[in-house]
Amino acid sequence: MFDDIISYTDIVLKEGFFMVKQKVVMHIDVNSAFLSWHAAYNQQIGIEEDIMGKPCVIGGNEKKRHGIVLAKSIPAKKLGIKTGQSLMEARLQCPDLKIIMPRYDIYVRASRKLRDMLREYTPKVEVFSIDECFMDLTGTELINGDAVHLAYQIKERIKTEFGYTVNIGISENKLLAKQASEFEKPDKVHTLYVAELKSKLWPLPVGELFMVGRRTEIKLNNIGINTIGQLANADRNMLSGLLKSHGRLIYDYARGIDCSTFSTEESIPFKGVGNGSTIPFDVEDSLTAHKILLSLVETASKRLRDEDLSCRVVAVGIKDKSFGYMTHQKKLSYFTNCTYDLYEAVQDLFDEAWDRQPIRHMNVRFTDLEKTKIKQLNFFQNQYSVKMEKLDCAIDHIREKYGKYAIIRGGYIDSGLSPILGGYPDDDYPDMRSIL
Amino acid sequence: MKLLNHPIDMIAIFEIGGKIVPFKFKYEDKPVKVGKIVKQYREKLAGNERIVFVCMNNGKDLYELKYELDSQKWFLFKK
Repeated sequence: MFDDIISYTDIVLKEGFFMVKQKVVMHIDVNSAFLSWHAAYNQQIGIEEDIMGKPCVIGGNEKKRHGIVLAKSIPAKKLGIKTGQSLMEARLQCPDLKIIMPRYDIYVRASRKLRDMLREYTPKVEVFSIDECFMDLTGTELINGDAVHLAYQIKERIKTEFGYTVNIGISENKLLAKQASEFEKPDKVHTLYVAELKSKLWPLPVGELFMVGRRTEIKLNNIGINTIGQLANADRNMLSGLLKSHGRLIYDYARGIDCSTFSTEESIPFKGVGNGSTIPFDVEDSLTAHKILLSLVETASKRLRDEDLSCRVVAVGIKDKSFGYMTHQKKLSYFTNCTYDLYEAVQDLFDEAWDRQPIRHMNVRFTDLEKTKIKQLNFFQNQYSVKMEKLDCAIDHIREKYGKYAIIRGGYIDSGLSPILGGYPDDDYPDMRSIL
Repeated sequence: MKLLNHPIDMIAIFEIGGKIVPFKFKYEDKPVKVGKIVKQYREKLAGNERIVFVCMNNGKDLYELKYELDSQKWFLFKK
Protein backbone atom coordinates (compact mmCIF):
# COMPACT_ATOMS: atom_id res chain seq x y z
CA MET A 1 0.00 0.00 0.00
CA PHE A 2 2.86 2.36 0.80
CA ASP A 3 4.89 1.51 -2.30
CA ASP A 4 4.47 4.90 -3.83
CA ILE A 5 5.03 6.83 -0.64
CA ILE A 6 8.49 8.32 -0.69
CA SER A 7 9.86 9.46 2.61
CA TYR A 8 12.47 12.16 2.69
CA THR A 9 15.71 10.37 3.40
CA ASP A 10 19.46 10.78 3.32
CA ILE A 11 21.78 8.28 1.70
CA VAL A 12 24.95 7.44 3.62
CA LEU A 13 27.97 5.31 2.83
CA LYS A 14 28.33 2.59 5.47
CA GLU A 15 30.74 -0.36 5.31
CA GLY A 16 31.12 0.08 1.56
CA PHE A 17 27.35 0.14 0.89
CA PHE A 18 24.98 2.98 0.29
CA MET A 19 22.44 2.89 3.08
CA VAL A 20 19.25 4.87 3.45
CA LYS A 21 19.37 6.90 6.63
CA GLN A 22 16.07 7.82 8.16
CA LYS A 23 15.52 11.49 8.83
CA VAL A 24 14.46 12.54 12.31
CA VAL A 25 12.44 15.74 12.51
CA MET A 26 10.78 17.15 15.61
CA HIS A 27 8.10 19.80 15.78
CA ILE A 28 7.86 21.75 19.03
CA ASP A 29 4.60 23.54 19.72
CA VAL A 30 4.05 25.62 22.86
CA ASN A 31 0.65 24.87 24.45
CA SER A 32 -1.55 28.03 24.64
CA ALA A 33 1.66 29.97 23.98
CA PHE A 34 0.82 33.57 24.90
CA LEU A 35 -1.11 32.50 27.96
CA SER A 36 1.46 30.04 29.32
CA TRP A 37 4.31 32.50 28.72
CA HIS A 38 2.31 35.15 30.52
CA ALA A 39 1.60 32.75 33.40
CA ALA A 40 5.28 31.77 33.71
CA TYR A 41 6.31 35.42 33.71
CA ASN A 42 3.66 36.25 36.33
CA GLN A 43 5.02 33.46 38.48
CA GLN A 44 8.48 34.95 38.20
CA ILE A 45 7.47 38.46 39.17
CA GLY A 46 5.44 37.18 42.08
CA ILE A 47 1.86 37.48 40.80
CA GLU A 48 0.17 34.51 42.37
CA GLU A 49 -3.06 34.62 40.34
CA ASP A 50 -3.64 31.40 38.39
CA ILE A 51 -4.55 32.52 34.86
CA MET A 52 -4.31 29.05 33.33
CA GLY A 53 -6.87 27.46 35.63
CA LYS A 54 -9.78 29.85 35.00
CA PRO A 55 -11.54 31.33 31.95
CA CYS A 56 -9.00 33.81 30.72
CA VAL A 57 -7.93 35.23 27.35
CA ILE A 58 -5.12 37.35 25.99
CA GLY A 59 -6.72 40.05 23.88
CA GLY A 60 -6.26 43.52 22.50
CA ASN A 61 -7.57 46.85 23.65
CA GLU A 62 -11.37 46.97 23.68
CA LYS A 63 -11.50 50.76 23.88
CA LYS A 64 -9.49 51.10 20.68
CA ARG A 65 -11.67 48.33 19.15
CA HIS A 66 -8.59 46.13 18.69
CA GLY A 67 -10.52 43.51 20.57
CA ILE A 68 -9.96 39.95 19.44
CA VAL A 69 -9.01 36.84 21.38
CA LEU A 70 -5.34 36.05 20.69
CA ALA A 71 -5.02 33.10 23.07
CA LYS A 72 -7.32 31.34 25.50
CA SER A 73 -6.98 29.16 28.59
CA ILE A 74 -8.30 25.59 28.59
CA PRO A 75 -11.32 26.49 30.83
CA ALA A 76 -12.13 29.32 28.37
CA LYS A 77 -11.90 26.86 25.47
CA LYS A 78 -14.39 24.59 27.25
CA LEU A 79 -16.84 27.50 27.35
CA GLY A 80 -16.61 27.69 23.56
CA ILE A 81 -14.36 30.73 23.24
CA LYS A 82 -12.38 30.65 20.03
CA THR A 83 -9.15 32.34 18.95
CA GLY A 84 -9.91 35.24 16.61
CA GLN A 85 -13.36 35.88 18.12
CA SER A 86 -14.15 39.43 19.20
CA LEU A 87 -13.76 40.20 22.92
CA MET A 88 -17.36 41.37 23.05
CA GLU A 89 -18.65 38.00 21.83
CA ALA A 90 -16.33 36.22 24.24
CA ARG A 91 -17.62 38.29 27.12
CA LEU A 92 -21.22 37.42 26.19
CA GLN A 93 -20.34 33.74 26.38
CA CYS A 94 -18.60 34.13 29.71
CA PRO A 95 -19.42 37.28 31.72
CA ASP A 96 -16.63 36.79 34.30
CA LEU A 97 -13.96 36.25 31.66
CA LYS A 98 -10.57 37.71 32.54
CA ILE A 99 -8.95 39.66 29.70
CA ILE A 100 -5.21 40.31 29.78
CA MET A 101 -3.43 42.82 27.53
CA PRO A 102 -0.73 41.16 25.42
CA ARG A 103 2.93 41.73 26.32
CA TYR A 104 4.79 41.01 23.08
CA ASP A 105 8.19 41.71 24.63
CA ILE A 106 7.73 38.76 27.01
CA TYR A 107 6.53 36.47 24.22
CA VAL A 108 9.34 37.36 21.82
CA ARG A 109 11.97 36.79 24.52
CA ALA A 110 10.40 33.47 25.59
CA SER A 111 10.30 32.30 21.98
CA ARG A 112 13.91 33.29 21.34
CA LYS A 113 15.21 31.64 24.52
CA LEU A 114 13.35 28.44 23.65
CA ARG A 115 15.07 28.31 20.26
CA ASP A 116 18.46 29.02 21.89
CA MET A 117 17.89 26.04 24.16
CA LEU A 118 16.87 23.78 21.26
CA ARG A 119 20.06 24.73 19.40
CA GLU A 120 22.02 22.95 22.15
CA TYR A 121 20.75 19.69 20.62
CA THR A 122 21.09 20.51 16.92
CA PRO A 123 22.12 23.55 14.90
CA LYS A 124 19.24 22.90 12.51
CA VAL A 125 16.35 24.70 14.19
CA GLU A 126 13.77 26.30 11.92
CA VAL A 127 11.35 28.98 13.10
CA PHE A 128 7.81 28.31 11.94
CA SER A 129 5.99 30.91 14.00
CA ILE A 130 6.40 32.58 17.37
CA ASP A 131 5.36 29.41 19.22
CA GLU A 132 6.36 26.66 16.81
CA CYS A 133 9.65 25.41 15.48
CA PHE A 134 11.19 22.40 13.79
CA MET A 135 14.40 20.57 14.70
CA ASP A 136 16.29 18.36 12.28
CA LEU A 137 18.02 15.73 14.42
CA THR A 138 19.20 13.49 11.59
CA GLY A 139 22.68 12.18 12.33
CA THR A 140 22.71 13.24 15.98
CA GLU A 141 21.64 9.83 17.33
CA LEU A 142 25.08 9.09 18.79
CA ILE A 143 25.04 12.35 20.76
CA ASN A 144 21.36 12.68 21.61
CA GLY A 145 20.24 9.07 21.69
CA ASP A 146 16.79 7.80 20.84
CA ALA A 147 14.43 10.48 19.47
CA VAL A 148 11.45 9.66 21.68
CA HIS A 149 13.61 9.57 24.80
CA LEU A 150 15.16 12.91 23.76
CA ALA A 151 11.73 14.45 23.13
CA TYR A 152 10.62 13.58 26.66
CA GLN A 153 13.88 14.99 28.00
CA ILE A 154 13.38 18.29 26.08
CA LYS A 155 9.73 18.52 27.15
CA GLU A 156 10.59 18.05 30.83
CA ARG A 157 13.50 20.48 30.60
CA ILE A 158 11.24 23.19 29.16
CA LYS A 159 8.72 22.54 31.92
CA THR A 160 11.22 22.81 34.78
CA GLU A 161 13.46 25.54 33.36
CA PHE A 162 11.01 27.79 31.56
CA GLY A 163 7.81 26.94 33.42
CA TYR A 164 5.47 26.05 30.52
CA THR A 165 4.44 22.95 28.60
CA VAL A 166 4.96 21.95 24.97
CA ASN A 167 3.78 19.27 22.57
CA ILE A 168 6.44 17.48 20.56
CA GLY A 169 5.80 15.58 17.34
CA ILE A 170 8.44 13.24 15.92
CA SER A 171 8.59 11.99 12.36
CA GLU A 172 10.72 11.86 9.26
CA ASN A 173 9.56 15.06 7.61
CA LYS A 174 8.28 18.43 8.72
CA LEU A 175 4.68 17.85 7.70
CA LEU A 176 4.23 14.62 9.65
CA ALA A 177 6.09 16.02 12.67
CA LYS A 178 3.67 18.95 12.71
CA GLN A 179 0.65 16.67 12.36
CA ALA A 180 2.00 14.52 15.22
CA SER A 181 2.35 17.43 17.62
CA GLU A 182 -1.32 18.34 17.00
CA PHE A 183 -2.67 14.97 18.16
CA GLU A 184 -3.44 15.33 21.85
CA LYS A 185 -2.62 18.32 24.00
CA PRO A 186 -1.14 19.49 26.33
CA ASP A 187 2.28 18.29 27.48
CA LYS A 188 2.54 15.24 25.20
CA VAL A 189 5.03 13.56 22.86
CA HIS A 190 3.67 11.82 19.73
CA THR A 191 5.30 10.00 16.84
CA LEU A 192 3.92 9.76 13.31
CA TYR A 193 6.21 7.79 11.03
CA VAL A 194 5.12 6.88 7.50
CA ALA A 195 4.36 3.35 8.66
CA GLU A 196 1.94 4.76 11.26
CA LEU A 197 0.01 6.91 8.78
CA LYS A 198 -2.82 4.46 8.30
CA SER A 199 -3.53 3.94 11.97
CA LYS A 200 -2.86 7.43 13.34
CA LEU A 201 -3.52 10.01 10.61
CA TRP A 202 -5.96 8.50 8.15
CA PRO A 203 -8.95 8.07 10.51
CA LEU A 204 -8.94 11.81 11.38
CA PRO A 205 -11.38 14.28 9.77
CA VAL A 206 -9.95 15.87 6.63
CA GLY A 207 -10.04 19.34 8.22
CA GLU A 208 -7.28 18.25 10.61
CA LEU A 209 -4.77 18.02 7.76
CA PHE A 210 -2.29 20.87 7.40
CA MET A 211 -3.34 23.28 4.61
CA VAL A 212 -6.95 22.07 4.58
CA GLY A 213 -8.93 25.06 5.75
CA ARG A 214 -12.62 25.51 6.38
CA ARG A 215 -13.51 26.19 2.74
CA THR A 216 -11.46 23.34 1.29
CA GLU A 217 -12.99 21.05 3.91
CA ILE A 218 -16.50 21.91 2.70
CA LYS A 219 -15.50 21.30 -0.95
CA LEU A 220 -13.98 17.94 -0.03
CA ASN A 221 -16.98 16.93 2.09
CA ASN A 222 -19.25 17.72 -0.86
CA ILE A 223 -17.48 15.11 -2.98
CA GLY A 224 -17.63 12.53 -0.19
CA ILE A 225 -14.15 12.97 1.28
CA ASN A 226 -14.53 13.19 5.04
CA THR A 227 -11.35 11.65 6.41
CA ILE A 228 -7.67 12.08 5.59
CA GLY A 229 -7.58 8.41 4.56
CA GLN A 230 -10.30 9.01 1.96
CA LEU A 231 -8.31 11.96 0.62
CA ALA A 232 -5.14 9.85 0.41
CA ASN A 233 -7.00 7.18 -1.57
CA ALA A 234 -8.87 9.59 -3.84
CA ASP A 235 -7.95 10.14 -7.47
CA ARG A 236 -5.12 12.66 -7.77
CA ASN A 237 -6.28 13.92 -11.17
CA MET A 238 -9.78 14.48 -9.89
CA LEU A 239 -8.45 16.53 -6.96
CA SER A 240 -6.19 18.41 -9.33
CA GLY A 241 -9.21 19.27 -11.47
CA LEU A 242 -11.21 20.41 -8.46
CA LEU A 243 -8.62 22.32 -6.46
CA LYS A 244 -5.76 22.79 -8.96
CA SER A 245 -2.24 22.77 -7.47
CA HIS A 246 -3.63 22.98 -3.94
CA GLY A 247 -5.47 19.69 -4.59
CA ARG A 248 -2.23 17.97 -5.57
CA LEU A 249 -0.51 19.42 -2.52
CA ILE A 250 -3.07 18.16 0.01
CA TYR A 251 -3.21 14.77 -1.73
CA ASP A 252 0.55 14.45 -1.22
CA TYR A 253 0.23 15.68 2.36
CA ALA A 254 -2.45 13.08 3.12
CA ARG A 255 0.04 10.43 1.98
CA GLY A 256 2.78 11.92 4.17
CA ILE A 257 4.80 13.24 1.25
CA ASP A 258 6.60 16.46 1.99
CA CYS A 259 9.89 17.32 0.32
CA SER A 260 10.39 20.72 1.94
CA THR A 261 13.88 21.59 3.06
CA PHE A 262 15.18 23.07 6.28
CA SER A 263 15.90 26.76 6.63
CA THR A 264 17.87 27.75 9.71
CA GLU A 265 17.53 31.46 9.11
CA GLU A 266 15.84 33.47 11.82
CA SER A 267 13.95 35.60 9.32
CA ILE A 268 11.02 34.13 7.47
CA PRO A 269 10.69 34.40 3.67
CA PHE A 270 7.33 35.83 2.71
CA LYS A 271 5.06 35.90 -0.32
CA GLY A 272 3.30 39.14 0.41
CA VAL A 273 3.30 42.15 2.68
CA GLY A 274 0.13 43.32 4.31
CA ASN A 275 -0.91 45.86 6.87
CA GLY A 276 -4.27 46.59 8.38
CA SER A 277 -5.85 48.37 11.27
CA THR A 278 -9.18 48.65 13.02
CA ILE A 279 -9.94 52.33 13.36
CA PRO A 280 -11.13 53.61 16.77
CA PHE A 281 -14.13 55.34 15.07
CA ASP A 282 -16.25 54.66 11.95
CA VAL A 283 -14.85 56.38 8.85
CA GLU A 284 -17.50 58.07 6.75
CA ASP A 285 -15.61 60.38 4.37
CA SER A 286 -13.12 59.45 1.70
CA LEU A 287 -10.57 62.09 2.72
CA THR A 288 -10.08 60.46 6.14
CA ALA A 289 -10.11 57.03 4.53
CA HIS A 290 -7.37 58.07 2.11
CA LYS A 291 -5.24 59.37 4.98
CA ILE A 292 -5.63 56.07 6.82
CA LEU A 293 -4.71 54.15 3.68
CA LEU A 294 -1.59 56.28 3.27
CA SER A 295 -0.54 55.58 6.86
CA LEU A 296 -0.99 51.84 6.22
CA VAL A 297 0.99 52.04 2.97
CA GLU A 298 3.81 53.89 4.78
CA THR A 299 4.47 50.88 7.03
CA ALA A 300 3.93 48.19 4.40
CA SER A 301 6.04 49.86 1.69
CA LYS A 302 8.87 50.42 4.19
CA ARG A 303 8.80 46.71 4.90
CA LEU A 304 9.12 45.97 1.17
CA ARG A 305 12.07 48.34 0.88
CA ASP A 306 13.74 46.83 3.96
CA GLU A 307 13.67 43.43 2.29
CA ASP A 308 14.75 44.88 -1.06
CA LEU A 309 11.54 43.70 -2.71
CA SER A 310 9.08 45.26 -5.15
CA CYS A 311 5.50 44.24 -5.79
CA ARG A 312 3.15 44.18 -8.73
CA VAL A 313 -0.22 43.22 -7.25
CA VAL A 314 -1.94 45.67 -4.94
CA ALA A 315 -5.04 44.85 -2.89
CA VAL A 316 -7.23 46.75 -0.51
CA GLY A 317 -9.68 45.29 2.04
CA ILE A 318 -12.57 47.18 3.65
CA LYS A 319 -14.67 46.01 6.59
CA ASP A 320 -17.78 48.09 7.26
CA LYS A 321 -19.43 48.64 10.60
CA SER A 322 -21.78 45.70 10.13
CA PHE A 323 -18.72 43.48 9.62
CA GLY A 324 -19.29 43.06 5.86
CA TYR A 325 -15.89 42.55 4.26
CA MET A 326 -14.80 43.13 0.70
CA THR A 327 -11.49 43.18 -1.12
CA HIS A 328 -10.42 44.65 -4.43
CA GLN A 329 -7.12 44.14 -6.19
CA LYS A 330 -5.28 44.99 -9.37
CA LYS A 331 -2.10 44.15 -11.16
CA LEU A 332 0.17 47.06 -12.01
CA SER A 333 2.11 47.16 -15.25
CA TYR A 334 5.37 47.60 -13.31
CA PHE A 335 7.07 46.47 -10.09
CA THR A 336 7.37 49.11 -7.39
CA ASN A 337 8.03 49.68 -3.71
CA CYS A 338 7.59 53.44 -3.80
CA THR A 339 5.17 54.72 -1.13
CA TYR A 340 3.57 57.27 -3.43
CA ASP A 341 3.02 54.88 -6.38
CA LEU A 342 1.54 52.26 -4.10
CA TYR A 343 -0.63 54.81 -2.35
CA GLU A 344 -2.02 56.04 -5.68
CA ALA A 345 -2.88 52.48 -6.71
CA VAL A 346 -4.48 51.73 -3.33
CA GLN A 347 -6.44 54.99 -3.43
CA ASP A 348 -7.83 54.15 -6.91
CA LEU A 349 -8.83 50.68 -5.77
CA PHE A 350 -10.50 52.08 -2.67
CA ASP A 351 -12.49 54.68 -4.64
CA GLU A 352 -13.68 51.96 -7.02
CA ALA A 353 -14.65 49.54 -4.28
CA TRP A 354 -16.10 51.62 -1.46
CA ASP A 355 -19.91 51.63 -1.24
CA ARG A 356 -20.00 54.59 1.25
CA GLN A 357 -20.84 52.36 4.21
CA PRO A 358 -19.11 53.56 7.42
CA ILE A 359 -15.74 51.75 7.65
CA ARG A 360 -14.50 49.91 10.71
CA HIS A 361 -11.34 48.30 9.41
CA MET A 362 -9.05 48.74 6.40
CA ASN A 363 -6.11 46.80 5.12
CA VAL A 364 -3.70 46.88 2.22
CA ARG A 365 -1.74 43.98 0.77
CA PHE A 366 1.12 43.80 -1.73
CA THR A 367 1.90 40.52 -3.48
CA ASP A 368 3.69 39.13 -6.54
CA LEU A 369 7.03 40.15 -5.10
CA GLU A 370 10.35 40.36 -6.87
CA LYS A 371 13.85 41.34 -5.77
CA THR A 372 14.60 44.95 -6.68
CA LYS A 373 17.80 44.54 -8.66
CA ILE A 374 17.21 45.68 -12.18
CA LYS A 375 14.30 47.96 -12.86
CA GLN A 376 12.40 48.35 -16.07
CA LEU A 377 11.33 51.96 -16.42
CA ASN A 378 7.78 52.39 -17.54
CA PHE A 379 6.04 54.98 -19.71
CA PHE A 380 2.80 54.67 -17.78
CA GLN A 381 4.28 55.14 -14.35
CA ASN A 382 4.17 58.46 -12.57
CA GLN A 383 6.75 60.74 -14.20
CA TYR A 384 8.13 61.73 -10.81
CA SER A 385 8.60 58.16 -9.61
CA VAL A 386 12.41 58.22 -9.70
CA LYS A 387 12.37 61.35 -7.58
CA MET A 388 9.75 59.80 -5.32
CA GLU A 389 11.97 56.79 -4.75
CA LYS A 390 14.83 59.06 -3.74
CA LEU A 391 12.45 60.83 -1.39
CA ASP A 392 11.43 57.48 0.16
CA CYS A 393 15.06 56.61 0.67
CA ALA A 394 15.73 59.93 2.42
CA ILE A 395 12.61 59.60 4.61
CA ASP A 396 13.60 56.04 5.58
CA HIS A 397 17.07 57.23 6.60
CA ILE A 398 15.67 60.05 8.73
CA ARG A 399 13.18 57.70 10.42
CA GLU A 400 15.85 55.10 11.11
CA LYS A 401 18.13 57.67 12.66
CA TYR A 402 15.69 59.86 14.59
CA GLY A 403 12.63 57.67 15.16
CA LYS A 404 9.63 56.90 12.99
CA TYR A 405 7.72 60.08 13.87
CA ALA A 406 10.72 62.35 13.18
CA ILE A 407 9.30 63.18 9.75
CA ILE A 408 5.59 62.94 8.90
CA ARG A 409 3.37 64.11 6.07
CA GLY A 410 1.79 67.53 6.53
CA GLY A 411 -1.74 66.25 5.96
CA TYR A 412 -1.75 64.54 9.33
CA ILE A 413 -1.16 67.69 11.38
CA ASP A 414 -4.18 68.34 13.60
CA SER A 415 -6.09 65.50 11.93
CA GLY A 416 -6.04 63.30 15.03
CA LEU A 417 -4.90 60.40 12.84
CA SER A 418 -1.70 58.47 13.21
CA PRO A 419 0.71 59.17 10.30
CA ILE A 420 2.08 55.63 10.46
CA LEU A 421 -0.28 52.78 11.21
CA GLY A 422 -0.05 49.09 11.85
CA GLY A 423 2.93 46.79 12.05
CA TYR A 424 3.78 44.64 15.01
CA PRO A 425 4.44 46.17 18.40
CA ASP A 426 7.84 44.54 18.25
CA ASP A 427 9.89 44.45 15.06
CA ASP A 428 11.28 41.06 15.98
CA TYR A 429 7.88 39.47 16.29
CA PRO A 430 7.97 36.52 13.89
CA ASP A 431 5.22 36.18 11.34
CA MET A 432 2.92 33.18 11.05
CA ARG A 433 3.76 30.84 8.19
CA SER A 434 1.76 28.57 6.02
CA ILE A 435 4.66 27.25 3.96
CA LEU A 436 6.58 24.28 5.28
CA MET B 1 7.46 35.28 53.58
CA LYS B 2 5.54 37.90 51.58
CA LEU B 3 5.89 38.34 47.79
CA LEU B 4 7.08 41.84 46.90
CA ASN B 5 9.13 41.96 43.66
CA HIS B 6 10.23 45.54 44.48
CA PRO B 7 13.06 47.01 42.36
CA ILE B 8 15.85 48.11 44.74
CA ASP B 9 19.14 50.05 44.72
CA MET B 10 21.94 47.58 45.34
CA ILE B 11 25.68 47.59 45.95
CA ALA B 12 27.06 44.25 44.81
CA ILE B 13 30.50 42.72 44.31
CA PHE B 14 31.22 41.43 40.81
CA GLU B 15 34.14 39.07 41.52
CA ILE B 16 37.02 38.39 39.10
CA GLY B 17 35.74 34.86 38.50
CA GLY B 18 32.34 36.15 37.41
CA LYS B 19 30.52 35.49 40.66
CA ILE B 20 28.00 38.13 41.77
CA VAL B 21 27.65 38.76 45.51
CA PRO B 22 24.96 41.18 46.79
CA PHE B 23 26.42 43.38 49.52
CA LYS B 24 24.09 46.17 50.63
CA PHE B 25 20.70 47.45 49.44
CA LYS B 26 18.25 50.22 50.20
CA TYR B 27 14.82 49.26 51.47
CA GLU B 28 12.28 51.90 52.57
CA ASP B 29 15.14 54.44 52.54
CA LYS B 30 17.16 52.40 55.02
CA PRO B 31 20.39 50.59 54.13
CA VAL B 32 20.30 46.85 54.73
CA LYS B 33 23.52 44.84 54.74
CA VAL B 34 23.14 41.41 53.19
CA GLY B 35 23.90 38.73 55.76
CA LYS B 36 24.51 35.10 54.89
CA ILE B 37 23.67 33.79 51.40
CA VAL B 38 21.94 30.50 52.18
CA LYS B 39 21.24 29.41 48.60
CA GLN B 40 21.87 30.70 45.10
CA TYR B 41 20.37 29.45 41.81
CA ARG B 42 19.28 30.60 38.36
CA GLU B 43 15.72 30.64 37.10
CA LYS B 44 14.67 31.09 33.47
CA LEU B 45 10.88 31.26 33.67
CA ALA B 46 9.40 32.23 30.28
CA GLY B 47 13.01 32.69 29.13
CA ASN B 48 13.65 35.59 31.52
CA GLU B 49 16.89 34.84 33.33
CA ARG B 50 17.26 35.85 36.99
CA ILE B 51 19.83 34.87 39.62
CA VAL B 52 18.07 34.14 42.89
CA PHE B 53 19.82 34.70 46.22
CA VAL B 54 18.13 33.32 49.32
CA CYS B 55 19.66 35.36 52.17
CA MET B 56 19.43 35.40 55.94
CA ASN B 57 20.03 38.25 58.40
CA ASN B 58 20.39 37.91 62.17
CA GLY B 59 20.35 34.13 61.87
CA LYS B 60 16.56 34.03 61.36
CA ASP B 61 15.18 36.63 58.90
CA LEU B 62 14.98 34.94 55.50
CA TYR B 63 14.47 36.95 52.29
CA GLU B 64 15.02 36.56 48.56
CA LEU B 65 16.93 38.89 46.23
CA LYS B 66 16.84 38.51 42.45
CA TYR B 67 19.17 39.92 39.80
CA GLU B 68 17.60 40.13 36.33
CA LEU B 69 20.23 39.63 33.64
CA ASP B 70 18.43 41.27 30.68
CA SER B 71 17.43 44.47 32.45
CA GLN B 72 20.35 44.44 34.97
CA LYS B 73 17.92 45.26 37.77
CA TRP B 74 17.86 44.02 41.35
CA PHE B 75 14.62 43.02 43.08
CA LEU B 76 13.69 42.30 46.66
CA PHE B 77 11.42 39.39 45.82
CA LYS B 78 10.32 37.92 49.13
CA LYS B 79 10.60 39.23 52.65
